[in-house]
Amino acid sequence: MIEPIVGRYVTIDVKGVTQRIYFEETGHGRPVLCLHTAGADTRQWRHLMNDEAVTGGNRLIAFDMPWHSKSLPPEGFQTQEYLLTTETYIETVLAMVAALGLDRPVLAGCSMGGRIALQLAALHPDKFSGFIAIEASDFQPAWYDIDWFDRPDAHGGEMGAALVSANISPFAPEAERWNTLWMFMQSGPGVFRGDLSFYTRDDSLIARLDEIDTAKTPVHLIVGAYDLTCTPEDAKRTANAIDGATLSVMDEVGHFPMSEHPDGFRPFFIEALGKMPEHEA
Amino acid sequence: MQSKLKSMQAQLNASDHLRHLGRLFSETVLIEVDSNEFYLTFEKGALTLLEAGPSRKTPWRFALRTDTDALRQFWEARPAPGFHDIFGLVKIGRGRIEGDMLLLVKNLRFFKEFMALGRPQTGASQ
Repeated sequence: MIEPIVGRYVTIDVKGVTQRIYFEETGHGRPVLCLHTAGADTRQWRHLMNDEAVTGGNRLIAFDMPWHSKSLPPEGFQTQEYLLTTETYIETVLAMVAALGLDRPVLAGCSMGGRIALQLAALHPDKFSGFIAIEASDFQPAWYDIDWFDRPDAHGGEMGAALVSANISPFAPEAERWNTLWMFMQSGPGVFRGDLSFYTRDDSLIARLDEIDTAKTPVHLIVGAYDLTCTPEDAKRTANAIDGATLSVMDEVGHFPMSEHPDGFRPFFIEALGKMPEHEA
Repeated sequence: MQSKLKSMQAQLNASDHLRHLGRLFSETVLIEVDSNEFYLTFEKGALTLLEAGPSRKTPWRFALRTDTDALRQFWEARPAPGFHDIFGLVKIGRGRIEGDMLLLVKNLRFFKEFMALGRPQTGASQ
């Protein structure tokens, strides 16, 4: 069976740095831009991108962040320390929206992708029609040492996978648990650490939550009960700080819903899409 | 608890996969349940010695301290949130991990899959 997902490359400029980005798309209708978690890639979205109930009315687009999977690191990376920042992440997403000519897409992001979705809801709502923030919160510091994942004497990918398995639900199908972990095992040296630097150290979203206007761009949060990193309490605190935001809690899902437990996540994602504005073609 | 750990020891030592995961792991680990100590000595991924404490003479590299009820829930096929992972036990205040954390993290998949041997072997993972 040949899947309907099509992958291509686009070259963008992010803060003066040329980045060749791999992206995938599928479906027709309202554009929905999908952001992967830290330390992983576009493959996390593959189940929804193959789901006709989703793609029948939505054009799903997902891309690998620079340094991740099929998006190579920039020229000169070999002497650089990869540290993602809120500003660079925002510029990357906005550059992709412009490069792909997306007209006010829905932005759906998971984990650090959910965090940046909420930043964009506060800072650039005019570029999007609504926000689905999955396993997303205002901020929580690391309960681990991010430097564990970038060491010359150990395999950062294997350690990262072993750690993030703490966030996967025991209800997740075994095959998808391990497919999810494989992406972390494949992550480039220092990339997971560089993502976590953004995710666990930048608390600038907290002061911006009250700038989000859900009357113009709806915000829906989704959180899994088995998520130790962004707990339901973290997501509830965040949703409560955004006037008009809505929240769904998934009892049998963890931190990587679309990847670890696609069947468990599917109805919640469809519900979330239903809360987003129709596309004005 | 001793019989449970012995059962896990037998499963580990019969598993080529797990012993391969732990092939560089030759250390002693303390598991403390309520106030009962169990010293687990691994040799190249096999559990070669399982001794009940108390002992002030047995050096260990890291320790998992928890309670009987928490472990009972941890070893259910589908534990409740928080009970599904050793770091979950820490997060919900039902466990503490002490000692050489980096050594644990370097061998985390091995140790977590060993601890998961206490669950019904239905294909559910750690």
